[in-house]
Amino acid sequence: MFQNLRQAMTWLHTWFGLALGFVLMVVFFFGALSVFDREIDRWAIPESRFAPQPMPSFDKVLKPVFESMQPSKESIERMKDRVNGPMPEHFDVVRRWGAYTTHRDPVLGVFASYVVPNAKNPDDGVFGSRTIDPRSGAALPDDQLKIGSRFFYPLHYSLNFHWMDLGYWIVGFAALMMLVALASGVVMHRKIFREFFTFRPKKSTQRSALDLHNMTGVVALPFHFFFAFTGLVIFAGIYFPVAHTQLDPLHELHEQVEAQETGLPHDRAGVAAPLASVDTMVAEAQRRWAAQGMAGDVGFLAVQHVGDANGYVSIYRAGTDRIALVGNGIHFKASTGEVLREDPPRTAVDGVNEFLTGLHLQHFRHWLLRWFYVLGGLSGCVCIATGFLFFVEKRKKQHAKAGSQGARVVDALAVTTVTGMLVAALGILIANRLLPQAVPAGWPPRGDLEQYAFWAAWLLAMAHAFWRSAPVAQGRLAPAWREQCWAIAVLGVAAVLLNWLTTGDHLLKTLAAGYWPVAGVDLFILTGAALAVLAARKLGRRAQAAPAPARLASEAAHA
Amino acid sequence: MTTAAISPSRQHVVLRIAAAVLGGYAFCWGFIALAMSGLFALGMSFHDAEHLSAMLAFVLYAAAFCWAFVVRSLARAWLVLAGGGALMAGAASLLQATLIG
Repeated sequence: MFQNLRQAMTWLHTWFGLALGFVLMVVFFFGALSVFDREIDRWAIPESRFAPQPMPSFDKVLKPVFESMQPSKESIERMKDRVNGPMPEHFDVVRRWGAYTTHRDPVLGVFASYVVPNAKNPDDGVFGSRTIDPRSGAALPDDQLKIGSRFFYPLHYSLNFHWMDLGYWIVGFAALMMLVALASGVVMHRKIFREFFTFRPKKSTQRSALDLHNMTGVVALPFHFFFAFTGLVIFAGIYFPVAHTQLDPLHELHEQVEAQETGLPHDRAGVAAPLASVDTMVAEAQRRWAAQGMAGDVGFLAVQHVGDANGYVSIYRAGTDRIALVGNGIHFKASTGEVLREDPPRTAVDGVNEFLTGLHLQHFRHWLLRWFYVLGGLSGCVCIATGFLFFVEKRKKQHAKAGSQGARVVDALAVTTVTGMLVAALGILIANRLLPQAVPAGWPPRGDLEQYAFWAAWLLAMAHAFWRSAPVAQGRLAPAWREQCWAIAVLGVAAVLLNWLTTGDHLLKTLAAGYWPVAGVDLFILTGAALAVLAARKLGRRAQAAPAPARLASEAAHA
Repeated sequence: MTTAAISPSRQHVVLRIAAAVLGGYAFCWGFIALAMSGLFALGMSFHDAEHLSAMLAFVLYAAAFCWAFVVRSLARAWLVLAGGGALMAGAASLLQATLIG
């Protein structure tokens, strides 16, 4: 198909980079935002704007909360077809209680899963979850969308497109193409080292776009490679479910052996038993971690087979002090509090795996490193966006002469994915501040409305991009870029002002109080708005400087 | 853009892409299955074998994907990727049968 390696790699890089670049842009940008997902949650849910809290007392706070929980209506609805006979009114047999927190969470997420009697598959269950204030145990309204951790973050790895898990597969394929684009990009360019330092902003748009594309691609190459690769490794079980399909018999064999080795009961005994003090177990776990010289904050706490003689409590450490995603779990017999098992030291492979996943998921406590992640992610966005620009700049005059709409369509899609995406992200934040605290009866839940605002803003931006990119078909610059930059600036300032008006938390106050989650989000938005103004003004000057039809005609004459 | 001297048919391009995407997937599936069962047979723990083979497989997939466009013969691309994948998957199932035995 190609004469040589370089030709093949150039073709791959151009066409797969273009096609999947639109997905990668979303993945990189919302991945960068997800580094501060908990902080964006604080901005979106003003009731949760207080300091991060440690895992509260189980006996005093969590137990009454868990005991008052029931599965969600949606979860019961989903289970209806998978049960013989009617569903019970009340679910009494608890399979698992769990509570998860990080060093950045003021509020605590708790969940419970329940055994369903007469389920066709006895392993099936129904679930409930709740967000509580760990200081009091009080529940937060459950229609509040955690925009950072429950919308931007899953957008990063699933596009929030859950039909047949298709979103995961699209993102997975895009990540694979990222690896391919990096490899082919290196083969394409012989002068990799020189490109490290080359940026000629005064040259033509095409030249400077390519310089910036190469520079961001090369400088952040290890970062981009690592994130695409570790992202794939994290979801390896979804992309290659070998252990649950072809090799399932081998997996079963291993699980039986494992259950015997760990001594943690796989099933209920069917004999009722009380729950001993979990706080005492937590203290024992912390004593054991301290003895090994490790920080002792509890990250995840779970009670399995609640109320049964086979019940056990698992306590995992929050891995704030290292990159590897570790748990150092210690497991206790629920009825007596005796230690059943302490997770053994990791094997070499496990160590590598936990390091890779931990590097991607960043549970550690290190703010500077967090900001490097954001910069790395944004440099990926620059790399992809300049790739689009280069594609368009290289072809638009040719296409204009040939009367083709190709460059225009790509440019409109680029506007949609670059500036349109920012318009959508600001759209959801603005909707979050504008919607009434309690939406009127008969409306969809508040969180759903916020998501509709996100997609509606994006669709509008797309319509605008296609409408205002007509000049590209004549070899000129699309006004859509400039206009959407102005939109970003206006929306950004509006979001920060609305935060002030609706919560009273303006920047002087949050900065003076050192409340960085909200101050940081506000400052980040304002920085974006300022950059958008700069870009819009520059684009405006360029559009004025080139009364384009004449320029095109003269260039065509020279060509 | 520098166009290739040999201008391939649309059908050829589609089959190339399919070889890279689907053939590459089949090849990596076979690789994971064989590596997982093989390492397990050699005494590595199940989940270690699972993780190690998956990590190697993604690098392999990216390489196989590129190779599918570099190799001259389309038939050879399909034969190696899909055929090799099927062979490895078959070998993995045989190995599993003896392990469970």
